[in-house]
Amino acid sequence: MNCEKLRNPSMDKKKQLKHTVNKAKEQSSMEKRNQNDKSKTIHDILPLDLIHKILLRVPIRHLTRLRCVSKLWSSLISDPDCVELHFHHSPAATKACFFMKNDTMAYLVYLDDNYASQKVVCPPFKKKPPSDFEVLGSCRGFILLHRYPHFLVVWNPLTGVSKRISYSHIVSRPKYHSFRLPYSTHLHGFRYDASQDDYLVVAACRDYERQEDHLECLSLRTNSWINLDAVLPSPLDWFDHNSCGLFLNGAIHWVPSCPKDYRDAILIFDLKERTFSKISAPEQLLTVACPFPSLALLGDCLSLYGHNYGRGTTEIWVMKEYKVHSSWTLYEIPCKIFQPLCLSRNGDIIGRGYDKIGYFIYNVRGDLLKRFKNLPCPPPIGYCVYKESLAVLPLPSGIKDKDKKKKENCMPSSSPSSLGSLESPNIQTERENEEQHMSGQLATWGRTFEKCK
Amino acid sequence: MGSPLKKIMLCSSEKEIFSVEEQVMVQHSVIINNMIEDGSYNYEESKIPLDCVDSKTLKKVIDYCTYHTHHHNDNQEDLEAWDAQFLNVDSNGLYDLLMAANYLEIRNLLDLIYRTIKNMIKGKKIDEIRRILNIKDHGFTPEEEEQNRKEYPHFY
Repeated sequence: MNCEKLRNPSMDKKKQLKHTVNKAKEQSSMEKRNQNDKSKTIHDILPLDLIHKILLRVPIRHLTRLRCVSKLWSSLISDPDCVELHFHHSPAATKACFFMKNDTMAYLVYLDDNYASQKVVCPPFKKKPPSDFEVLGSCRGFILLHRYPHFLVVWNPLTGVSKRISYSHIVSRPKYHSFRLPYSTHLHGFRYDASQDDYLVVAACRDYERQEDHLECLSLRTNSWINLDAVLPSPLDWFDHNSCGLFLNGAIHWVPSCPKDYRDAILIFDLKERTFSKISAPEQLLTVACPFPSLALLGDCLSLYGHNYGRGTTEIWVMKEYKVHSSWTLYEIPCKIFQPLCLSRNGDIIGRGYDKIGYFIYNVRGDLLKRFKNLPCPPPIGYCVYKESLAVLPLPSGIKDKDKKKKENCMPSSSPSSLGSLESPNIQTERENEEQHMSGQLATWGRTFEKCK
Repeated sequence: MGSPLKKIMLCSSEKEIFSVEEQVMVQHSVIINNMIEDGSYNYEESKIPLDCVDSKTLKKVIDYCTYHTHHHNDNQEDLEAWDAQFLNVDSNGLYDLLMAANYLEIRNLLDLIYRTIKNMIKGKKIDEIRRILNIKDHGFTPEEEEQNRKEYPHFY
């Protein structure tokens, strides 16, 4: 009889956890021998992978608190592999949308199929208003913000880690301080490169004095800008485009704020190939009365939506097959100003209404399925769809070792060569007061995790 | 799939033998289903040794599988009420069940236990979670613990 597979059915298929975590476990199991068998704890009984599976069920925003439960949990939750696993495979993952209310206050809205909640977060800006800034996008736990005149801020609202980056070297200062160039003169994109464990920021600007266009890409791992002027196609109507790029299929997509021609309406920059290309929008979108389309990502499909003022509806065009023009499919939402945010598990459209104020779920036929009540909807000055992660910013690879000592005394994301300053975050919670004062928490846990190693 | 009347033998860590309807275990345990399907179980002689599952836990597991086999048409509310009653055990009992469900790959029982433990710690203060999970040694040095408590008093 073959009972071999019964002896240890889980070992071969379970992912081996990192050495660091095993060490913590060893330590804990050594200590347990001294304990009375009757007072067995979860650590003594359950193997790490089962504890981890329990933690996977917990929404990421609660994990920050659970790191205080024990050193073992702390190292499990902070382990980069676990952070990655949680980001991609957590059954507890909920969709969140980030809305900036004003310069000092933003909020995360968690939208599940049946449940919505909201949490207030404070952007990591030291300066008091007035300061102009814009939400440019989000990527793997981080939000990219732009602050006038030439600063970018990447910020993880959950952990409070942030980093400010100046790109003054590629943008010329306007001659008169009172005169500010419109933001649409710059294109931005933000993505995570898993192969290098690096966040990349793409910025394109027009130098009006010299009448030149510049394109640069920043690696947050190496803190260096790479000049990509050579690949710029010409002419590019920069100021015609919405500044926020949408990342999909290895490329960043931009759409003009007022496209003149449906052909070549969407501008694409492929980060790997470092090439530009264009794809056409559905011709009906522009011939009908939707002059100002925006991009959205709905269920991994590139989507364009615009408000049809004539019919009092919002048209959402979804490109079901990437780069296949004939696959553009129209959904019409009976709401004059509707912003599609994401899809529900059933493929219905979750979005925010601005004429009918609130968060709604519509099916693809345009029937209203649900309206989330009791959520305040202050008008935002910027937004992006956001997926939470406890991810930290990558450290420069060459200086990992000598950075280690310094790491014990500062936040995990900080690096000696950082271009910008690390600004201390300030987070408030509306619903869950246990998550207040997360600001210094990462510092503590960074240290704890280091010691655990 | 085996015929509904056939029985299989399960042997607990205390070498106690449990005779169970084959159908009940095949429907719920991926491991036992695989054994029956690939013909490695001999109905005349085989006992499936479950060295890491004690009799008390094995009996609970069999109860769960039996109930869910025979009541799968019940309405959701009744099943949930039964599940809640079924998992009304102390934390050690729950961990033992989790280990057994993991060992035998009983997915719906695993899900149920994960969910239960998650709900046990959801929204709770750290001290309370430690009490519920019976964590006496948290592994932090007194200084680290002191600092955490000072920095995040609202967590405790």
